[in-house]
Amino acid sequence: MAASAVRGAVALRTSVGRPVAFVRKIPWTAASSELREHFAQFGHVRKCIVPFDKDTGFHRGMGWIQFSSEEELQNALQQENHVIDGVKESLFRDRDRRLRQTNGRKPAFTPAK
Amino acid sequence: MAALLRPARWLLRAGAVPGLPLPLRLLAGGPGRPRVALCLPAACPGPAAGGLLSQARLYAIAAEKKNYLQEEPTSSHRRNASQFDWALMRLDNSVRRTGRIPKTLLQKVFDNTCHSGSPGGNQALLLLRSCGSLLPELKLSERTEFAHRIWDKLQKLGTVYDVSHYNALLKVYLQNEYKFSPTDFLAKMEEANIQPNRVTYQRLIAAYCNVGDIEGASKILGFMKTKDLPVTEAVFSALVTGHARAGDMENAENILTVMKEAGIEPGPDTYLALLNAYAEKGDIDHVKQTLEKVEKSDLYLMDRDLFQIIFSFSKAGYPQYVSEILEKITYERRYIPDAMNLILLLVTEKLEDTALQILLACPISREDGLNDFGSFFLRHCVTMDTPVEKLKHYCKKLKDAQMHTSALQFTLQCALLANKPDLAKALMNALKEEGFPVRTHYFWPLLVGYQKEKNVQGVIEILKGMHEMGVNPDQETYVNYVFPCFDSVKSVRAVLQENGCLPESNVFSQAELKSEAVNGNLDYILSFLESNTLPFSFTSLRGSLILGFRRSMNINLWSKITELLYKDGRYCQEPLGPTEAVGYFLYNLIDSMSDSEVQAKEEHLRQYFHQLKEMNVKIPENIYRGIRNLLDNYHVPELIKDVNILVEREKIDSRKTMQLTISDLESTLEKLKAENQPVGDVLKQLILMLCSEENMQKALELKAKYESDMAVGGYAALINLCCRHDNAEDALNLKQEFDRLDSSAVLDTNKYVGLVKVLGKHGKLQDAINILKEMKEKDVLIKDATVLSFFHILNGAALRGETETVQQLHEAIVTLGLAKPSTTISSPLVTLYLEKDDLPTALEVAIDCHKKYKILPRIHDVLCKLIEKGETDLIQKAMDFVSQEQGEMTMLYDLFFAFLQTGNYKEAKKIIETPGIRARPTRLQWFCDRCISSNQVETLEKLVELTQKLFECDRDQLYYNLLKIYKINGDWQRADAVWNKMQEENIIPRGKTLRLLAEILRNSNQEVPFDVPELWDEDEKHSLDSSPLPEESNLQKDLLNACQWKKNKDAYNIFLKAQNRNVVFNGETYNSLIKLLLTKDNFTQAMQVKDFAETHIKGFTLNDAASSLLIITQVRRDYLKEALTTLKTALDLEQIPSRIAVTRLIQACALKGDLESIQAIQKMVNGLEDSIGLSNMVFINNIALAQIKNNNIDVAIENIENMLTSGNQTMEPQYFGLAYLFRKVIEEQLEPAVEKISIMAERLANQFAVYKPVTDLFLQLVDSGKVDDARALLQRCGAIAEQTPIFLVFCIRSSRRRGKVLCFTC
Repeated sequence: MAASAVRGAVALRTSVGRPVAFVRKIPWTAASSELREHFAQFGHVRKCIVPFDKDTGFHRGMGWIQFSSEEELQNALQQENHVIDGVKESLFRDRDRRLRQTNGRKPAFTPAK
Repeated sequence: MAALLRPARWLLRAGAVPGLPLPLRLLAGGPGRPRVALCLPAACPGPAAGGLLSQARLYAIAAEKKNYLQEEPTSSHRRNASQFDWALMRLDNSVRRTGRIPKTLLQKVFDNTCHSGSPGGNQALLLLRSCGSLLPELKLSERTEFAHRIWDKLQKLGTVYDVSHYNALLKVYLQNEYKFSPTDFLAKMEEANIQPNRVTYQRLIAAYCNVGDIEGASKILGFMKTKDLPVTEAVFSALVTGHARAGDMENAENILTVMKEAGIEPGPDTYLALLNAYAEKGDIDHVKQTLEKVEKSDLYLMDRDLFQIIFSFSKAGYPQYVSEILEKITYERRYIPDAMNLILLLVTEKLEDTALQILLACPISREDGLNDFGSFFLRHCVTMDTPVEKLKHYCKKLKDAQMHTSALQFTLQCALLANKPDLAKALMNALKEEGFPVRTHYFWPLLVGYQKEKNVQGVIEILKGMHEMGVNPDQETYVNYVFPCFDSVKSVRAVLQENGCLPESNVFSQAELKSEAVNGNLDYILSFLESNTLPFSFTSLRGSLILGFRRSMNINLWSKITELLYKDGRYCQEPLGPTEAVGYFLYNLIDSMSDSEVQAKEEHLRQYFHQLKEMNVKIPENIYRGIRNLLDNYHVPELIKDVNILVEREKIDSRKTMQLTISDLESTLEKLKAENQPVGDVLKQLILMLCSEENMQKALELKAKYESDMAVGGYAALINLCCRHDNAEDALNLKQEFDRLDSSAVLDTNKYVGLVKVLGKHGKLQDAINILKEMKEKDVLIKDATVLSFFHILNGAALRGETETVQQLHEAIVTLGLAKPSTTISSPLVTLYLEKDDLPTALEVAIDCHKKYKILPRIHDVLCKLIEKGETDLIQKAMDFVSQEQGEMTMLYDLFFAFLQTGNYKEAKKIIETPGIRARPTRLQWFCDRCISSNQVETLEKLVELTQKLFECDRDQLYYNLLKIYKINGDWQRADAVWNKMQEENIIPRGKTLRLLAEILRNSNQEVPFDVPELWDEDEKHSLDSSPLPEESNLQKDLLNACQWKKNKDAYNIFLKAQNRNVVFNGETYNSLIKLLLTKDNFTQAMQVKDFAETHIKGFTLNDAASSLLIITQVRRDYLKEALTTLKTALDLEQIPSRIAVTRLIQACALKGDLESIQAIQKMVNGLEDSIGLSNMVFINNIALAQIKNNNIDVAIENIENMLTSGNQTMEPQYFGLAYLFRKVIEEQLEPAVEKISIMAERLANQFAVYKPVTDLFLQLVDSGKVDDARALLQRCGAIAEQTPIFLVFCIRSSRRRGKVLCFTC
């Protein structure tokens, strides 16, 4: 179960090309709420997932951020440095949709009003 | 340009090529490489000169082995060879980077070697070799044990040992100060029929000497003499140690004289042995004297030698002398790994304080504050159980020295990983004391630890600890980390209650719910929801419910739970109301399932929907549409009709519930006020609600009305609202009122930033600066995000060319210390002038930034522009400055990139060929990334070409970047050329490069001319293994991919390619392509695809979505006849076209006055209105419009009047919206019609009390700017002013639509 599966449950409904960023090198001190807080500056974070390894109690240093719009995602991607808890993150556009599918769950979505 | 280059060349020192530290490479490489002594820094007075010899020997033996192996089957040979390369690479990398090999890595390499079958001799050598001083984290005895384990295991596996292995083992013994009997060792060798050689004897002498056994050493020495073996410096060095350890310093010194007499000059190793001997005695004076002697001679000691002396002092208990030796260290970068090794060794020996002393002396670059140094030290301290007080002290020291930004957090992580709860707890307390947050998930690893042993008491302790620290366990903590420790969830509650750690909030109940949901226990969920008395919001339940639903197939329970949620006021109190809440829930439920899951559960879902229908559960229209699209995408359109039955038929505006809430609050407020009761809470609630509705006008009015009752919170929300609406005036006034109310009150950071932004934007600079000052004074928390917001404010102003704003705000931000100067925050200063093309000033500003803040913002862009404009003098100036301030190399790279960027390749070439320039991987990668992100293929190609001869350049990495850009452009030909180029240049590609290349070729259906290296990741491997797919499915995949990424050109090209090759896809694919082309307005291409599909696939039809898009496109292009046909075809196929498509078509017909077509459509969709979501008003409005267009105004008006006044009304008057008709009539300036409609509307109002039309007309007049007409209408028909609900809907809609708020007074 992802870190924030029930915490926030709103998102945009486009079946393809969802504006999702993939974040790597998340410091262990940060979890989804810290990520959410950081990325809120670029737009509305609809969904933020940092999966934890239940065998260790640590996350694996990566997560996914879903924005409301492509524009917001681009804002985030264009920012050169993302520093959370003093650690520089690596941010990519999430292209590997397969990954989330094999993980067995997709973020929850509600239709845009 | 040549003139330009001169100073650069002149400034550069001619290419000094520094030696590379390649400790382990020697094992594989040939002789002739620089000597590298590996015996550091464990006390190893052993023969270092013998090191060189033994290295050469190792190499020779490896070669012998190779010959031997060739007799074996080649496959196993190859496997062994690659196994060896892999192991060597791993170990070598580790030593080069960190000066050591972690135990786990060695274990891994060892296990791997064992699994590879019969390990070769060179592998055995490599492993044995690694068990000495390269394992500083292990105690000496453990290292030797490890070596023995390896020795025995490999022997069992059939590895044949020769003398090199025995010598390697001896070396390990020496490095580990292992006590053994040299005679036994020799006996063992004899038993194995291995002849000892000179190295063996030397090392045995060293072994005797290490324990001060001169007699034993002499025996071996005598033996060597009888065998006529030469006595080398190594032997003498060992003897120095031997005498010293026997307590005879005089004779130790004498050895040097003996040496000289024997014709051997004492070298660094002999002196080092002597120095260590004095250090072990704590004799600093003699150490100093000896060092001076060495300095005076033409010998010199390397840092790593000095490290040994430090170790000797510390271990012998004289740490006070360490600093004197440290002073002599030169700290060449390449010795950092050696320093790390020493630090770890000291920690292992429990000499942590000395270790820290050395660590702090390490020259680490502290510029960016992002590269932490010292983690290895902290981690090892945790492993070695260093007391927590010491650890906290170390963390502080590292932080103060700016070596490590998050030392405490890192140490905590180590404690958690090592599962040391007490230490972790102490560290968390320390974090808290330092003002850092202690977060819930910090406790999870500890809980995992106890969970694994099912240690309930331990878990309780942690929960108590969390409580003490003020950290509340959240739902996840319970579900994932607490519950698994217990047999059942029920027992948890009891145990927690017993121990007093059951939280008061409803988190625990939620967790219970979630946990039962995961198990699909819907019975529990239902009874919980029925009996629950705690306030739960629907949103907090949604995730758990969806999980539970998906894990249980009991549809009756699904429905019962849904009904409960729908009908029970406890769960649907949110502003949403039951229909929307349940609607969203259904949407989320379906969305959370995969398409195959929905397909599999189709029947269950159908049953569910029908049961809901029976329970009278309804969902709003818009959510239904969302669900419909989902089902469409999941390829289960059959379910759509089953959801459709749930749609709420009454067309109630979804905002109505909201209005009620607002008006409720308003009336409560008035009531309270009238009763003279405190209104603060209600007022705040109402203001917050209006703010969330973005209703600024009303919120401000409310504030004005209840000024005296306003509190800080309300003001804060209002200020923020005004900032969002770009209303500087009110925001500022509110801020002043806020201050008057409570001058010490602090807004949150975002609100301050919002104020600065809006004030700056409106030129109220002094006010903006005052806000910034206040932020400083009130010590508002500045986060990274805040700094970024500052940047955006400045950058926005810079792009608007507001010089004053940028300069003053920047100045204020930086001087107040709200943000540290950085290239980011200061770049707008330069942007200002770049945008204005004022290059001299831009450069001046950048230079000024460097003078003030030591940063050079946007220098690359400045240089590019200067080069474009040919501003030679300014370029010269920039270069002089950069090389003076940041070094010639930086300047050369700046210039190189600028020339490349501007296409001046010749000049770029000259720069990069400057003698002495060497690769700077990070800068090169920076430029590569730039090129890739802006897709500059040529620039990147040139970069790769020009850097061919660049010293130390990672060619493979550059080619990898080039391939990346080719992949983006799908250019397999050039990618293929890269492959050849790399061979030409003799570059060995890494695995990732080959894989990328293979991917590009496969994507274009090309053959891959090489073995693709295997991947570690199973997942990726799978995707590559499935490569030999038939062409058509490959193309189809590409096409669908392109559709997904909305690359219409690519998609269309794939279609054409497939067409050429006579490949036919399935109908689905063509539908996707047509949809994409239509959305991109490529009408002709879409028609081409449609024609092709229709002629090649029997019975091909467009699906619902594609048909709808086609109608819209046809309408846009004014092909109304064709659009009508498309609609008819779709309906004949029992498709449901989208509402928007049908509406657009009807509207287009109306504007043409084509009454017949509208009536035809009305007939066609008869009975489907609800599924399409088409209101009857669309027809009424448009039929009337068509009639008016045909000059039948009276007929149109008569019809409408009839509908509204006759007994059998088709539509409730309050929903009889004619706004569209009115708007069109006004827009099209059909004056006679406007007049007659106005008369009709007034008549309906005055005679029939139907006010909706007249109010709509009034609003449309206002909206079209015909304020006078509107005012006249209002005067004639005063009842308009009472139609507040209609106004409210209108205001909200138009404010959303245009982001403005209309103001009018009734």
